[in-house]
Amino acid sequence: MASLHLEHLTKTFGNQTVTRNVSLSVEDGAFCVFVGPSGCGKSTLLRLIAGLEEASSGRIMVADRDVTKVPAYDRDLAMVFQSYALYPHMTVRDNIAFSLRTAKRPEDEVAAKIAEAARILKLEDLLDRKPAQLSGGQRQRVAIGRAIVKQPKLFLFDEPLSNLDAELRVHMRVEIARLHRDLGTTVIYVTHDQVEAMTLATKIVVLRAGEVEQVGSPLQLFDDPDNIFVAGFIGSPQMNFFKAKHQGGRLFATDFPDQSCQAPALSAALAEGQDVTVGLRPQFMGLEGNASLELMIEVVEHLGSETLVHARPPGSAQMMTALVADGRNLAPGQAFVARFDPDRLMVFDATGKRLR
Amino acid sequence: MKPRLTLRWIVFAVAVFVMNFPVISTLVTAFKSPGEVSRNPSLWIETPTFENFATVLTTSDRLNIYNYLWNSTVAAGIGAVLPIVVAFPLAWAIVRRGVGRAILFPLVVNLRALPLIIFAIPIYMMFSVAGLLDTRLGLGLILAVVNLPLALMLLVNAVAEIPHEIEEAAHMDGARLPRLLFRIVLPLCRPALITTFIFGFITAWNEFLFGLMLTTSKAVPMTVGASFFFATSGGGVQWGVAAAVMVVAALPPLALGLVMYRRITGSLVAGAVKG
Amino acid sequence: MASRQHRENALLASPLVLFLLLILGFPTVLSLIYGFSETSFETLMQPQFSGLQNFRDVLGDPTFWQAAGFSLRFGLITAVLQCALGLALAVYLAPLVRAHPWTVAILIIPMIVAPAMMGLMYRLVLHEFAGPLPHYLYQWFGWSPSFLGPAHVFKTVVLAETLQWTPFAFLLFLTAYQSIPSELREAASVDGARPLRLFWKIEWPLMLPTVFVALFIRFIDGFRVFDNIYTLVGSGPGGSTTSMSIYIYETFLRRGEIGKAMAAAILLFLTAFLLLALGQWLTRRRRP
Repeated sequence: MASLHLEHLTKTFGNQTVTRNVSLSVEDGAFCVFVGPSGCGKSTLLRLIAGLEEASSGRIMVADRDVTKVPAYDRDLAMVFQSYALYPHMTVRDNIAFSLRTAKRPEDEVAAKIAEAARILKLEDLLDRKPAQLSGGQRQRVAIGRAIVKQPKLFLFDEPLSNLDAELRVHMRVEIARLHRDLGTTVIYVTHDQVEAMTLATKIVVLRAGEVEQVGSPLQLFDDPDNIFVAGFIGSPQMNFFKAKHQGGRLFATDFPDQSCQAPALSAALAEGQDVTVGLRPQFMGLEGNASLELMIEVVEHLGSETLVHARPPGSAQMMTALVADGRNLAPGQAFVARFDPDRLMVFDATGKRLR
Repeated sequence: MKPRLTLRWIVFAVAVFVMNFPVISTLVTAFKSPGEVSRNPSLWIETPTFENFATVLTTSDRLNIYNYLWNSTVAAGIGAVLPIVVAFPLAWAIVRRGVGRAILFPLVVNLRALPLIIFAIPIYMMFSVAGLLDTRLGLGLILAVVNLPLALMLLVNAVAEIPHEIEEAAHMDGARLPRLLFRIVLPLCRPALITTFIFGFITAWNEFLFGLMLTTSKAVPMTVGASFFFATSGGGVQWGVAAAVMVVAALPPLALGLVMYRRITGSLVAGAVKG
Repeated sequence: MASRQHRENALLASPLVLFLLLILGFPTVLSLIYGFSETSFETLMQPQFSGLQNFRDVLGDPTFWQAAGFSLRFGLITAVLQCALGLALAVYLAPLVRAHPWTVAILIIPMIVAPAMMGLMYRLVLHEFAGPLPHYLYQWFGWSPSFLGPAHVFKTVVLAETLQWTPFAFLLFLTAYQSIPSELREAASVDGARPLRLFWKIEWPLMLPTVFVALFIRFIDGFRVFDNIYTLVGSGPGGSTTSMSIYIYETFLRRGEIGKAMAAAILLFLTAFLLLALGQWLTRRRRP
């Protein structure tokens, strides 16, 4: 168990910078998720922490010890790989025991720890099988078992659920959350799936193009994103955006003919005639509120408890999505007046920065 | 649509018969008595006999087949194992660290295409100084050179097929290089190691030139020993005995090759395409 | 971490490098010394520097040129024959092999027999009195050629080499043929291509790189031939089957002309090196 501090961490491959000047603190016991689109450098960042890549500059501190130049095998961390990376020639038991035997621990301690891990992960009946004889979910559990027996300072997870089918993924997500609660070890977890990030994390780090966009708890990022990228990346369904011009306290949609709504109350005044991007979460569009947009329904998806409405303003091709609580009577072709509270609107300037 | 195979079976049979005609003739002759050989050279055996094999397998002062077989076994064993021992660490370094990719790897691989006689003479001189002439060790050493290119190539292919993540997982589990190589990489290369060994053993067993040049009596291998039976001593070649010797000499590689033909064919093709 | 890796890399490469230096490096130095010296087996330890004399001797020796010509002709002819036969067999027998994979094992038997053994076996097969082949030729046609006589010996050794190594070409072509995606064949058949057109328009172009590889490998192997010719006929009637390898062997062990043999070996090495470089340059140019 340990804290993690990254200081101005940069990694370049040739002339390509994969992570740029990343500074970050993860406190002891946190579940920290690195999330971002593919190519954002999240996996590289994890591999830098693991010691599988060497940092070009900057420092990595684990439990207040500088490990920047320490090779992977001496960092005392554990990692669960996307492909599980189980040793195919060893039984489950030997896979789990490998790190302990590498450290030359006494065999009775090894046996005790294997039994403990097998109990926690329900692997008791599988200990003498080879990885090839296991299902995807079982392999995943073995990989986790291999990580927990060494009682590492940090658990590193590299997209551990992306090779599982949807049902198993939800199940394993819950398992990992439970494991973290029981063991209390600091976790660094990489995923491209923002749902995983939202459900698992105590702390989310949103990355784009090798740089940190925003750090915060799941709800902080949902409620109060710093910029248009984080606003669009976090939250499902994705936030609706439209271009607008500010005039006299109202926002006039640039691309929707003859539509406008009241601007939200902001601490920094909007300039008259300023071009902005307006964001509105589908969850906040419904049948009630002081402001509204007039839309035409194109597609209706009934999810049972809620209804997902895909609609566009007349005379525009831009689709908007609304998540409506009571939408059973809605049908394609109908007019739909999407109502909302104007204070739910988020306003971003031309550079994408949030105006609060 | 099932292709008609009848005609193909016939072509197959003819091809096998023509290409293996010497092998078949030798096998047939080995079971003929000396009298029958001179009277009946056809492929039909009138009265099959094990007489020739009995002669061959009886030790005589002049020719001791057990010596030849033992020499070949030891020399081919060294010639098959040594290349694996020296090539394995380098193969890993080539794949994972890019060591020797520019010069060493192509150099070794191209050795395969050079005429062996080029090495034979200077090695003869060196061995005569080092006291390795007519020893099984000396013969084994040079056979190891013959097998080195293919061994390196097959092991490089094998290491390259191990997912990198497995080695990274071992790193995360605290394994340093020796433990990584011997507990993870080596066991995962096992199929390639077996193939390399079998292929190397057959090649080494079948080698002739070095046996001819570097041995004279004590360490003579089977291929060279077999040719002694063709030396006309007084009354001409005893064809039945000579044929039986060849059957014995060709049996070990043939048995290995037929049992392991999938591995053999695979490595032959790999060696040819990568080279 | 970098310096530790360097040390590890050196350690990993050292067994092979040391082995090569010991077994090939030292002899290379020897062959350079002796190639430029006057020596015999009696004066092995006192080589006298003689400049290019050995090379002049070799290049002035008509037998050397005869051997070079033999090796080139032998390599070229056997390579072409093996590839033609191997290709035809591979394409024709591919459906059989797919249905019964074990047939490959039978077809590659000649390759697993030592070439030296094969040479000896042909001595039996072709023997005037004990050999089955002359026996059947006499029985059916009342006549049999003198296979190892001056008139036919070249054809005989070419045939022996070809029959032994056609399976190698066969195997390469079979693999290439089997790796052609079956969708491609099916698409061409649906487009109305008959077998012959299918071969020339689809299969042949896709197998062409393999044809070059096979030709090259078989040429190199034929060029350096020793074992089977040596055990079958030695240097042949009037030295007619003296290959480069046999020439060097005889110069060295039979005639004891160490310097000359070394010089010839160096020349053979340079030739082989050039051929190899040429072959690799050609194949590299073909697949950019």
